[in-house]
Amino acid sequence: MSTLRRAVAVVGITIAAAGGVSGCGAGADKGGSAGGKSGGALNFTMTSFPDYVDPQLSYTVEGWEVLWNTYVPLLTYRHQRGEAGTDVVPGLAKDMPQISPEGTTYKLTLRPNMKYSDGTPIKAGDFTYAIKRLFKANSGGSVFYEGIVGAKDFADGKADGISGIVTDDATGDITITLDKPNGTFTNVLGLTFAAPVPPSTPLDKDATNNPPPSSGPFMISKVDAPNSLVLERNPQFTTVKDAGATEVPDAQVDKITVVQNKNNSAQVTGVEQNTIDYMQNPPDADRLSEVKAKFADRFRLENSINTYYFWMNNKTAPFNDVRVRQAINYAIDPEALNRVFGGRLHPTQQILPPGMPGYDEFKLYPGPDMNKAKALLAEANPADKNITVWTDDEPDRKRIGEYYHDLLNELGFNAQLKVISGDVYFTTIGNQSTPDLDTGFADWFQDFPHPDDFFRPLLNGENILPTNNNNFSQVAIAANDTTMDELRTGQLTEEARKQYAELDKSYMEQAVWAPYGNEEFSTFVSDRIDFDKVYYHLLFTHDYSSFALK
Amino acid sequence: MLRFTVRRLIGMIAVLFAISVIVFLIFNVIPNSDPAARIAGKNANPALIARVRADLGLDQPLPVQYLTMMKQIFTGKLTSYASDQNVAAHIIAGLPATLSLCIGAALLWMALAVWFGYLSAVHPGSVTDRALTVLALIGISLPVFWLAAILLYYLSFKVPIFPTGGYVPLTENPGQWLYHMVLPWITLAVLYVGFYSRVLRSNMVDVMNEDYVRTARAKGLSERQVRLRHVLRNSLIPIVTLFGLDFGAVVGGGTILTETVFNINGVGLYAGQAIGKLDLPPLMAVTMFGAFFIVFFNTVVDILYAFLDPRIRLGEAASV
Amino acid sequence: MSTATLGGRSPWQLAGIRLRRNRFAIAFGVLFVLIVAFCLAAPLWADHVAHTGPNQNHITDRVLVGGQLTDVVAPDGTPLGPGLRGRYLLGADQNGRDVMVRLMYGGRTSIYIGVLAALITTLLAVAVGVLAGYYRGWIDAVLSRILDVVWAFPVLLLGIALGTTLALGGLQIGGVQIAGDSLWIPILIIAVVYVPYMARPIRGEVLALREKEFVEAAVAQGKGPLRIMISELLPNIVSTIIVFTALNIANNMLLESALSFLGAGVRPPNASWGTMIADGYQTIYTAPHLTIVPGLMIVLTVLSLNVFGDGLRDALNPRAQIRPGR
Repeated sequence: MSTLRRAVAVVGITIAAAGGVSGCGAGADKGGSAGGKSGGALNFTMTSFPDYVDPQLSYTVEGWEVLWNTYVPLLTYRHQRGEAGTDVVPGLAKDMPQISPEGTTYKLTLRPNMKYSDGTPIKAGDFTYAIKRLFKANSGGSVFYEGIVGAKDFADGKADGISGIVTDDATGDITITLDKPNGTFTNVLGLTFAAPVPPSTPLDKDATNNPPPSSGPFMISKVDAPNSLVLERNPQFTTVKDAGATEVPDAQVDKITVVQNKNNSAQVTGVEQNTIDYMQNPPDADRLSEVKAKFADRFRLENSINTYYFWMNNKTAPFNDVRVRQAINYAIDPEALNRVFGGRLHPTQQILPPGMPGYDEFKLYPGPDMNKAKALLAEANPADKNITVWTDDEPDRKRIGEYYHDLLNELGFNAQLKVISGDVYFTTIGNQSTPDLDTGFADWFQDFPHPDDFFRPLLNGENILPTNNNNFSQVAIAANDTTMDELRTGQLTEEARKQYAELDKSYMEQAVWAPYGNEEFSTFVSDRIDFDKVYYHLLFTHDYSSFALK
Repeated sequence: MLRFTVRRLIGMIAVLFAISVIVFLIFNVIPNSDPAARIAGKNANPALIARVRADLGLDQPLPVQYLTMMKQIFTGKLTSYASDQNVAAHIIAGLPATLSLCIGAALLWMALAVWFGYLSAVHPGSVTDRALTVLALIGISLPVFWLAAILLYYLSFKVPIFPTGGYVPLTENPGQWLYHMVLPWITLAVLYVGFYSRVLRSNMVDVMNEDYVRTARAKGLSERQVRLRHVLRNSLIPIVTLFGLDFGAVVGGGTILTETVFNINGVGLYAGQAIGKLDLPPLMAVTMFGAFFIVFFNTVVDILYAFLDPRIRLGEAASV
Repeated sequence: MSTATLGGRSPWQLAGIRLRRNRFAIAFGVLFVLIVAFCLAAPLWADHVAHTGPNQNHITDRVLVGGQLTDVVAPDGTPLGPGLRGRYLLGADQNGRDVMVRLMYGGRTSIYIGVLAALITTLLAVAVGVLAGYYRGWIDAVLSRILDVVWAFPVLLLGIALGTTLALGGLQIGGVQIAGDSLWIPILIIAVVYVPYMARPIRGEVLALREKEFVEAAVAQGKGPLRIMISELLPNIVSTIIVFTALNIANNMLLESALSFLGAGVRPPNASWGTMIADGYQTIYTAPHLTIVPGLMIVLTVLSLNVFGDGLRDALNPRAQIRPGR
């Protein structure tokens, strides 16, 4: 070895010894202003950067996590873990909305004297502006607000404003009129889609590179998409707190830097070595057991509202026979799927996941029971045994598809597996013109914690769409559809929750799906974070206002 | 000569045009890849999808879309479908990382290749020669992504000598920059060291049998002087031209796998992500970027050859 | 060794002697044959030793390891490692499949793709190279530019795009229907990608050969272009063709593994060494054998082809004699 190269090698190893091995994120600001209870600068990483740093446009978990404590809507969700976090509470509005008896008029009042982070006063008209942005910027979330009178006309350019929203900046009154009663509307008002923004925000363009001033405990001081963004304390948040918004907690740190890092393993090493304070994604299956074993004092699994299932085309053979569908439910082994997924799938056999209001645990097809499954199949004796199984190409989805494919073959079918690229998978199976849509992988993550968000897009007969379909099983049970529509006109009472639980059971009696798991996420933080304070919110995932240094 | 150069340049433009058209058509032929449907979100209804399509200009006829996209590439105004990021800015931001990777690896592989090839050639058939040949052949038999995975596993996980990936800009911290580049350089260089050392060896062995080398020896030059001044220099000429082609290929997209495995935020990683997301604007831009490099170097080499070899330049066998 | 004329030997016989003297190359050639035989023995191993097919999942099964019943796939997803046993000799993968069985079946697929693609490349490259080199002028210009387009084209994009498109409905060329998960799709992609790599040197050789006197003589004799190509040019480039074909099989296997690694090659659940590396990559820290083993097989196979191809090149010494045709 030449002397030069030996020197380089020595230098390399010395750097290694001195610097420690770690993933390289932004420099870690250790300590901060006050130290101890409040203050400090934290370092977060995510595998995917938020799709948009814009409250009206963002529609991913990463985006919502960053924006929840930055832009406060009129209503918000309780900042608590577990099912308590699914309750809608007042945010920038003084109280919960006054709903007219027919359920079509919602009256709210904006709290007075609040200011955005740049000192601009928050006005009632800003709410209308936000809704207008939804339509003009073609946000994916606009569909939740189409029920507002005049919204569609505004979206199509036929009107200059939305006739169904009337505001008065002086009094702070906001009156929203819907064209039909809709019990999910309060939930939808709590999403960041409806967060007021000042009219200086561009109406029809994405504001990611220059986000609007914020109303929450944090403000976004710098965005370098898609690499990093910086959140800092919002100096004007006291105006919101003083106006009585008790449900929105204050920030406990001064600064959070969020950096994208595509290498999950490097992030795990970073958190283990305390150079990264928090990683948004759960550790890969490969590192999960190591983290569970060695860092149990700062790692835990969290329940999340989602369902993983196999859809089965109820309209064509062989899955048009309920016995065949029930056989599949008997045959599937959730434990096997959990292992293939890496140990984070909580077993289930129903539509609604734990944590969703209306969830009531039951199991109609105890198993796995291959004998029962084969017996049912023998009884049903389907003529068409050729099945096409669909899945997407992400590693865990692919393995799940391979398991299911092998299972179907074992049951006596002639199954063929089709693996489709992740980005076009859902549009492919959601397109009616795709041939051989027999069965395959699907998952559904909630938009908001109301059971209608699961049942309507996935199981309502009206929603079997020619493209962008989500009702892959092509389920259309008229009685259930009627129940669904009735339940939606009212609010989410105890009685309504029970009825939703019944609906769940009714669908599973028909075995419209073969659900098998709810994915669990995780909280994994560095040892300078107070682990007990940090919590996982069922809708907005990790609450940044709950992070504090020890 | 001028006519030849002009014809080759026209050919280069024709090739780039053909590639851009083919990429555009492939993307539009992939079923269900309509970006509007994906951008409009999972709950979208046809009205929203239609508005998104109009916004992105996807309701225009294909030739119009193609021309608009090409215009945007040349004026630097191309933005991705999936987000509002400017594609050109993104590529420029990724260039330092990719160039660090390519240039560093190139220096490494050329240095090692010349050294190994030289050692092999001066004692053909010896143990050194055999050993180096086997090493070279092993080098060209390794799948790049596999080598990267193995290096990471043994040298970064089992024995934590090197970081698990990532890129630190040279301007930020030269020490860390070097530290993070070592494994990627090795990964990228291994394949080419093998190839080039063998080419050099075979060229040198050929040249050593030439008459002018015998003359040089007869003149009384030492063996070492003969080797360095006559043999090595003349053997390097074809290597340099090959290097031009390979370097073009490496910069033009040969780094996708290495950047992906080592998580280096360069043009290659950007290309890999664009392919995975089927996002046409960045996909088109990085493809053109890569193709340009490859075709450019190819053309330069051809022109140089023609310049150096009068038979090709002047004769009937002048290729276009 | 037969002698055609008075005590002389044909160049082919001489090449054969040179090759046989190169023990190194012969050894690796034998290694390649052994690897192929190993892969062809897949059904035997699967039926009699491992008692499972390559795609059968056994996630929640248990096997006897050192007298104790152990999970094939642990509850946290970690698969069984290698050990001296009939079943799961090389361990299991995350779906509980037997790695040894998949390795053998996967090898069949990878080698099959490598060889077939190489043959197609040879056909296309010879055609293009000879035509371009013989006719020169605008035919050469057009063919050379087409080669440029193929060379500069992002093969990964092509692979993924075609893979996705064709996975749905397959391909129809004329009356021939190719299914979406047919091996012909990666075979054709890989074959086309390497055509410029081989066609350019062939074109270069033909360009040079064309100037020789024997070609002039053949033209003067009134032989048509096709006859000249076949009887004068082809024999003199045969050795180049042979060497390139052997080396191409090696290149093809590497490219197939890269495409499969990215999900654009062999479709799941079928095994190929590339897809096995891609799968193994997910558990590189807890089950490195899943990545190391298929990779080693690729390296060994490609290496043996490279060494043997090298030996062939030395033996055939293509830069040597040029003989007039019959």
